[in-house]
Amino acid sequence: MRHRGRGIACMWYPIGFTVAANPSAAVVKVNEDGSATVLTGTVETGQGALTVLGQIAAEELGIAADDVHLVSGDTDATPMDTGAIASRTTYVTGNAIQMAAAEAKKILFEVAAPMLGVRPEQLEARDRRIQVIGFPQKNLPIGEVAHHAQVVMGRPPLGSASYNPPTVAMDPETGQGKPFSTYVYAAQVAEVEVDDETGEVEVLRIVAAHDCGTPINPTLVEGQVEGGISMGVGLALQEEILFDAEGRQINPNLTNYIMPTSLDMPEVEVDIVKNYDPTGPFGAKGVGEPTSVPTAAAIANAIYDAVGVRIHSLPATSEKVLMALREKRAMQKQIPAE
Amino acid sequence: MEITIRVNGQERTASVPPETTLLTMLRANLGLTGAKLGCDVGDCGACSVLVDGEPVNACLMLAAQAAGRDVLTIEGLGDFQELSPLQEMFELFSSFQCGFCAPGMIISAKALLDKTPNPTAAEVREALSGNLCRCTGYTKIIDAVMEMASRGAAESERA
Amino acid sequence: MVIKVEDALRADRLTELKHPDEAAGVPAVARKEGRAPQIVPDANQQTPAVGQRVTRPDSRPHITGQTRYIDDLSFPNMLHMKILRSEHAHARIRAIDVSEAEKMPGVVATLTGREIPVNSFGPSYQDQPVLADEKVRHMGDGVVAVAAETEQLAQDALARIKVEYEPLPLVLDPLEAMNDDAPKIHGDSNIYATKAIRKGDVESALAEADLVMEGRFSTQMVEHVPMEPHATIAMWEPDGRLKILSSLGRITLGRADVARTLDMPVNRIQIVGTIVGGNFGGKNEITTEPVLALLARKTGRPVKGVFTRQDEFVSSTTRHPFIMDYRTGVRKDGRILARKVRIVADGGAYCSWSETTLGKGAILSVGPYRIDHLEVKAYAVYTNKTTCGAMRGFGAPQVCFGYESHMDDIARELGIDPLEIRLRNAFDEGSSSPTGQVLHSVAVKESLETVAHRVGWREQTS
Repeated sequence: MRHRGRGIACMWYPIGFTVAANPSAAVVKVNEDGSATVLTGTVETGQGALTVLGQIAAEELGIAADDVHLVSGDTDATPMDTGAIASRTTYVTGNAIQMAAAEAKKILFEVAAPMLGVRPEQLEARDRRIQVIGFPQKNLPIGEVAHHAQVVMGRPPLGSASYNPPTVAMDPETGQGKPFSTYVYAAQVAEVEVDDETGEVEVLRIVAAHDCGTPINPTLVEGQVEGGISMGVGLALQEEILFDAEGRQINPNLTNYIMPTSLDMPEVEVDIVKNYDPTGPFGAKGVGEPTSVPTAAAIANAIYDAVGVRIHSLPATSEKVLMALREKRAMQKQIPAE
Repeated sequence: MEITIRVNGQERTASVPPETTLLTMLRANLGLTGAKLGCDVGDCGACSVLVDGEPVNACLMLAAQAAGRDVLTIEGLGDFQELSPLQEMFELFSSFQCGFCAPGMIISAKALLDKTPNPTAAEVREALSGNLCRCTGYTKIIDAVMEMASRGAAESERA
Repeated sequence: MVIKVEDALRADRLTELKHPDEAAGVPAVARKEGRAPQIVPDANQQTPAVGQRVTRPDSRPHITGQTRYIDDLSFPNMLHMKILRSEHAHARIRAIDVSEAEKMPGVVATLTGREIPVNSFGPSYQDQPVLADEKVRHMGDGVVAVAAETEQLAQDALARIKVEYEPLPLVLDPLEAMNDDAPKIHGDSNIYATKAIRKGDVESALAEADLVMEGRFSTQMVEHVPMEPHATIAMWEPDGRLKILSSLGRITLGRADVARTLDMPVNRIQIVGTIVGGNFGGKNEITTEPVLALLARKTGRPVKGVFTRQDEFVSSTTRHPFIMDYRTGVRKDGRILARKVRIVADGGAYCSWSETTLGKGAILSVGPYRIDHLEVKAYAVYTNKTTCGAMRGFGAPQVCFGYESHMDDIARELGIDPLEIRLRNAFDEGSSSPTGQVLHSVAVKESLETVAHRVGWREQTS
């Protein structure tokens, strides 16, 4: 017989480690037509980091995503970056890019100020224009300013910056201190069906709410959550590298190491929790790793809710669930009264 | 041995050792690197191509077995300037992340829609189950194929 | 933390951004049934840029099969490399004989660990050889590399290499590895990292608790399974510089590692990372880059090395199995007074990112809860198994399974709803973390309430 159950789990996850140096550097060049080129030492590993970093540069310069091109992943051409690790790219590299873009923008403002007859502090960059704060009708196209800066004034608008979340030493005895800049939070609910004859667990639905600060690109945030959940399902139910007594892996292939396929993936609903972190670029924190954190716990709790057995070790394979059910039934049998 | 295959509508010939797989011939001899090598034993589907309209793992088929047959690879669908309707749908849904599984996944989706223009969600999941993806949880991939199906646009998808 | 007015205004605008479907009044359910997202016309052209559902610039190359991953690149005269891996999980290498392999037609060069100028690497401790020279410590250790005209020839040549081993006693269980009399994998102890967190007076608080719950939880070893196996091409440029194209996700530090192992100045090395076909933490360290560089130098030709799927499993890093003991004292109303956690992380044969994973895992193991009295002790331990390193979550999925399973057990024992007990203990804005950090932009309760609302949690609870 199949039993339904649901389980909840929440988590916290750090963004921007500070126990060791964690810098990113960036260069932003505004071209003579108002488009921009960004140099970053990070590498696109599929998560869409370059898209998000481009949006951050565009936001600071008041231009659109397509107006920005990113050059990345070449140690000769791009500045230092700690790398696509630790869910740090949006936060740390993003901060560096925002700062570098602000440097370039400062040059644009200094060039535009006399053209508009105001002081640089009175200007803002919006909608591809450099405009006077409070008087948006008084403006110049960013391309015109950039062209003027480079071709007439001889001041190509570019900026470089680096960001390092302030490094803090921890107390080695008590572990007290500030090991990370900030944290993200999330909760997931899993709905499962457990077959009490086979021990098989089917995950029907995962509902996920993730805080990532400002979602720079909500589609990419959802993509991270959906992908993280699939890894969480694998961790919960299927995946395990097994060894024989000699220390040899016995399933080093995708035939016998079972990772989730399209058939294993539950329905997923994603909510992005409203939040804003003033230490991140435009309020953003990060989202890569935390998405796979609470899923297995939520599924394990849902299994308990469905059939009343606690899984103490992952993965919760059919064999393990069935064994736990048998033990539970055995324990429920009473010794007859004399 | 000399092998001639009709690839994406063109006769292509290469001289290869007899043990050469279709995948190796496509990638190394014909310069078509869209189909990927992910596992070399037919587990991951990254090398999926259509042979006479049927989806196969090109890493499991010898090039000689494809001789004289019609092979469609991802390069035979749309290109950067003009995507096929199915590819457009994948772009609309932002279905892929690292993209390594994309060529095989799109080929499998096409194979399904060519035969079954209005599949159920279960049929879509079944048809894609041989194509592993580690990034996306398949969510936006399945959504894109379901939307394609609901628009009944499969017929207009031409090789 | 004080949020500036300007920030708050900005926050207001940014967090008001909605899914375009939501803005258009399309119910979420319709979206789930395969309805296309109503993409804002040309999101890529919109200002302000932040919050837009921008289409990624690499989307079109991906879906047309035109993205060039490392294995899609080739260069004139390029050779292919394969690696012979250990036959033992723990053994001394007595002798290596490559003469038969080198005689094979099509085999151009071989490389052993002794030919590597500085044969060690690692992000915390440099305890890992690029190719094992004196000792192998797990079955995934590479021993000899072969460069040949084709991948198949390189693979075939591996069978002709003779390696003589002196097997050593091995230890696979991390708890056994902690015993004094266990076989030692490096140095004189298998415990190579320890983390401790102490706050308040945990013993007194446990004594005052209405209920003390205990539980042991454990997790397994997991592989990243990037769909693209690790791939690298090395070549020497006409000006004597080394160029490496790699699936590495961390090129600046990778360059430093390559410079160190090859004993070369950093400015003589260029690393180019093209798009990585899946990383998840598994492509954050150098693997074969120095080997390919040296084979390329020996042969004067570009050399490509692509991991087989089996290489990917046995020699790349994996997720740490954790063994976790929880002991928690609670009041009848569900408030947690004190928590003790002990963690043993099975690190496999080399440190890799274990030291840092352990640190993050130890801090997070307390859970997102206000607990004044706590003690965490965590150990990373060597075993003769595949090396564990960075993997998406970095210790967090393991400890979350521990603290959240434990939380449900506590809730059930007290007869409190699982959602309610979490809300009663969760961090608030300004709460103190287990390390005494004052937390800002906290959203645990909001996250819990959001999922509870979506599934109708309270409606279904009697």
